Amino acid sequence: MNMLELKGASRHFGGVRAVDSLDLAVAEGAIFGLIGPNGSGKSTTVNLVTGLFPLTTGQICFRGADLAGVPVHRRLGLGIARTFQNIRLFGHLTVWQNLWVAQNSPEDHVRRGFFRRWLGGSAGVRAEIGELLEFAGLAAKQDELAGNLAFGEQRRLELARALAARPQLLLLDEPAAGMNAEEIGQLRERILKLRGRGVTILLVEHVMELVMGVTDRIAVLNFGQKIAEGTPAEIQADPVVRKAYLGGDVK
Amino acid sequence: MDFYYGLAQIIGVHTLLGLSAYIVLLTGQVSLAQAGFLAIGAYSAAMLTVLAGWALVPALAVSSLLSALVACAVGFPALRVRGLILVVATLAFGEGVRLFFFNFDYQIARGGVKLGPLGGEGFRQIRYFPEHGWTTLEVMLFIWAIVAVVMAALWWFDRSRYGAVLRAVGEDELAAQSVGINLTAIKVSAMTVGGAIAGVAGGIFAHYTTHIEHTNFNILVATFAIAYPIVGGLASVFGTLAAVVFVQGFLVEGLRFLGDWRNLLFGALIVLAMNLRPHGLLDAPTLARLKRLVGR
Amino acid sequence: MLDLLQSILDGVLFGATYALIGIGFTLVFGVMHKLNLAYAAASIGGAYCGLLVMGLVEGAAPAWAVFLGAFLAGGVIGYLVYLTCFHFIPIASPLATLMATVGMLLLIDEIIVHVTDGMPKAYPTMFDDEMLRMGEFTLRGDLLLVFTVGVVCMAGLLLLLYRTRLGLATRAVSQQPVAARLCGIQVQRVNAATFVITGLLGGIAGALIGASVGTLSPLLTTPLTVKGLIVTVIGGLGSIPGAIIAGLLVGGVENLLQMYRGVTERDLYVMLLLFVFLVFRPGGIFAHRSGRD
Repeated sequence: MNMLELKGASRHFGGVRAVDSLDLAVAEGAIFGLIGPNGSGKSTTVNLVTGLFPLTTGQICFRGADLAGVPVHRRLGLGIARTFQNIRLFGHLTVWQNLWVAQNSPEDHVRRGFFRRWLGGSAGVRAEIGELLEFAGLAAKQDELAGNLAFGEQRRLELARALAARPQLLLLDEPAAGMNAEEIGQLRERILKLRGRGVTILLVEHVMELVMGVTDRIAVLNFGQKIAEGTPAEIQADPVVRKAYLGGDVK
Repeated sequence: MDFYYGLAQIIGVHTLLGLSAYIVLLTGQVSLAQAGFLAIGAYSAAMLTVLAGWALVPALAVSSLLSALVACAVGFPALRVRGLILVVATLAFGEGVRLFFFNFDYQIARGGVKLGPLGGEGFRQIRYFPEHGWTTLEVMLFIWAIVAVVMAALWWFDRSRYGAVLRAVGEDELAAQSVGINLTAIKVSAMTVGGAIAGVAGGIFAHYTTHIEHTNFNILVATFAIAYPIVGGLASVFGTLAAVVFVQGFLVEGLRFLGDWRNLLFGALIVLAMNLRPHGLLDAPTLARLKRLVGR
Repeated sequence: MLDLLQSILDGVLFGATYALIGIGFTLVFGVMHKLNLAYAAASIGGAYCGLLVMGLVEGAAPAWAVFLGAFLAGGVIGYLVYLTCFHFIPIASPLATLMATVGMLLLIDEIIVHVTDGMPKAYPTMFDDEMLRMGEFTLRGDLLLVFTVGVVCMAGLLLLLYRTRLGLATRAVSQQPVAARLCGIQVQRVNAATFVITGLLGGIAGALIGASVGTLSPLLTTPLTVKGLIVTVIGGLGSIPGAIIAGLLVGGVENLLQMYRGVTERDLYVMLLLFVFLVFRPGGIFAHRSGRD
C-alpha cells in the first residue's frame, strides 16, 4: 500500500489552476522529491495534503483512506506532519514548549489520560522531548524563546517539532532554503536518519544538490501539472524538465 | 480601616474580572463579552440568595456554572469571526446582555416587600452579608480567598501544557492546527473558563454592593476587563493583578484628591501607558528581571 | 403600511450619519488594519467644537458655520488621535493600540463632560420646519439636509480615493504596506492623512446628528460607537460601499423597530441584526478581499 496517493487532485482559485489533475504515489518508506519552477504548485500540494486548502476535484488518500473532510488537526493525528517554508515556530514559547505542544499523536492521547496530558509533565514526556532536542542539536537551548534562536537553529526546531507527534509521513516544504553547504549536508544526514526510523518523506525543494542526493524518486511540476517523474538520474537527463527550468532547449 | 477593606474588595473583584479576560486573550481572542458574563453571574447569584434563600457558596457555584455555559455557547459562534470583528461581536453580545437586564423584571413579595430585579431600577436589597452578620473584613477575606484560588489555578495552567497550547493558538493558529491542536476545543474551553471566572466575580460583586443595575455592566466595564490584562501584560497572571492595583488603587483612589479631574486623567494615563509600555506593565523582560531579583 | 414606509424612509435619511461613522471605522481598518475605538467620540467632540466656534463669534455667524467648525475640528481631533494612538506605538502591538484608543475615547468623553458641566447643549437645526412632499410621503427638511450633506461627503471621499494621488497612495498602503513603502510612499504620512480625512468626515457626521436631534450630549458617544461598529461589521471591514449601504440599512431598520417596539427594545433588536449577519455572512455585505492570508 502506498503511504500517500493523489488521484486527479486539483486546486483552482478562480481562474488560476494552482494544481491541475495531479497524480502522485509515494511508497511507504520512500523519500520522494517534488520539484519545479516557482509557482508550479509545490507548496499548494503540501497544503492540500495537510488540509489547509480544500481540493477542488480529485482525491487524496493516506494509507488507502480518503482524507476528504478530515480537518487539519486530525490529519496530524493520523500521522501526517509538515514543516513550513517560512518558519512558523511559536516565537514566544520556549524551545521545550514548542515541542511539548506538538505532542499530539494518537498514542499520546491513549497513553496519558486527560489530566496527565494537559496538566502534568511526566518523566516519559521529558524523555521524549529530550530525545527530540538531541536529534535537533538543541538540548542546551531548551529554555530559550524560539524567536531568539539563530536561523539554522529555528529550522532544526521546526523539523523536530514536526517529529514530536511521531508522524508516518513527513512533508518538508523547502527545508534547505537559506542554508549553506555545511547545513545542507547536516540536513541530508537528518533526513536519512529519519528514513532509518521508518518515516516516509515528501521533500519539496529547490536546492538540487539536496534533492538529487537524497531522494529515491522525483516528480516535476510546472504550472500545476506533473510534467515528469522518475529517479534522480532520469529527471536530470530529461529534456522536458530542462526546458521547464531553463525556458528553452539547452544545447 | 473599613475603607481599605472596601478598596481591597473592589480590587479583588476587578482582578477576577481581569483574569476572566486574561485567559481568553491568551488564545488571541479579544473578548468584550466578559461584562456580560459578569452580569449573568451577578443577577443569578443574587436571585438565588435573595429570592430562593440559598446559601452564598452554592449560589456562587451555580452562577459561575451558568455564566460558563453561556460563555461556552458564545464561544462557538465566536470561532467563525476573527480579530476585530470578534471585538465588535463580543461588544454587541455584552450590550445585548445589558439591555436584557435593563428590561428584566422578576419580583417576588417577601414579608410585605417586593424583592428582585426591576428593569432599569436594578436589583436592590441584596442583603445576604448584613443579614448573616459578615463584617467588612470577613467579606474581604472571602473575596481574596477566591481570588487566590483562581490565580493559583491560572498560574498552574500557565506552567502546564494547556497554558502553552493556549499561547500557541494565540500566536499562530495555522501552525497550531498543523501540529495537531484542535483550535475549536482550545478556544471554546478558554472562553468557558473565562465565563466561569467572570460568573463568580459577578456573584460576589452583587453581594458586596447590595444593589446592581444594568449600568454596572456597560461597555466601560467590558473594556476595563480587557484593559487589565493588556496593561498588565500577558506574560503572567501577576500582570493583571498589578494592573488592577495600579488602576483601582493608584488611579481611582490615589487620585481621588483631584476630584473631577481624576476621570480626565484616567484616559490620558491609559494612552500614556500604552505608548510607553506597549507590552504591558509586566512584560516578559521585566518579569525576567523581577525573577532574577527574587533569586529564581 | 404608509407609516411603515415613512418611518423606514426617515430612518434611511438619518442613516447617512451612521454611514459616515461606519466609513470612518472601516477606512482606518482598511488602511492600517486597526480599530480606532475613539472615532465616534471624536466625531461628537468635533460637533461640540463647532458649537464652541459658534459661541465665540456670538451669533455673528450663520447656522451652517457650525458645520464648518465641526468639520475642521474633527480633522484636528483625528490627527491628535493618530499621534497618541498610532504614530508611536509599534505596529506589532495591536492590543496596545486598541487600548490607547479606548483611553482616548474616555479622555474625549471626559473633556466634553468637563467643558459642558455635563449638561446637554442645544444644536442649531436647519430646515426643520420645511417639508418636501413626494406623493404620499413627507421628506423632513432637516433629514433631507442630513442625507444630502452625507452624500456629498461620501462623494467627496470617493473622489479623493479614486482621483487623487493621495487616494492612490492610500489604496496602495491598504493593500500592501511594505511594497508601498518600497515604492517610496511615505506610509506614516498616508496613515496620518487617513486619520485627518476620517476626522473631517466624523466632525460633519457629529454635527449632522446634533442638527437632526436638536441637542448634543456626551451620552451619545457610547451608542454611536456601538452602532458605528455594527455598521462597519455588517458592511464588511474595509469596504466603503459596504459601510454606506449598511449605514442606511441600520438607520432604516432602527427607526422601523423604534416605531413598533419603542426605544428601549430597539437597540436590542439592532444587536440581533448584527448577530444574524455574523451567522450568515461574517465577512459582511462586501467581504473585504485581502491579498494576504
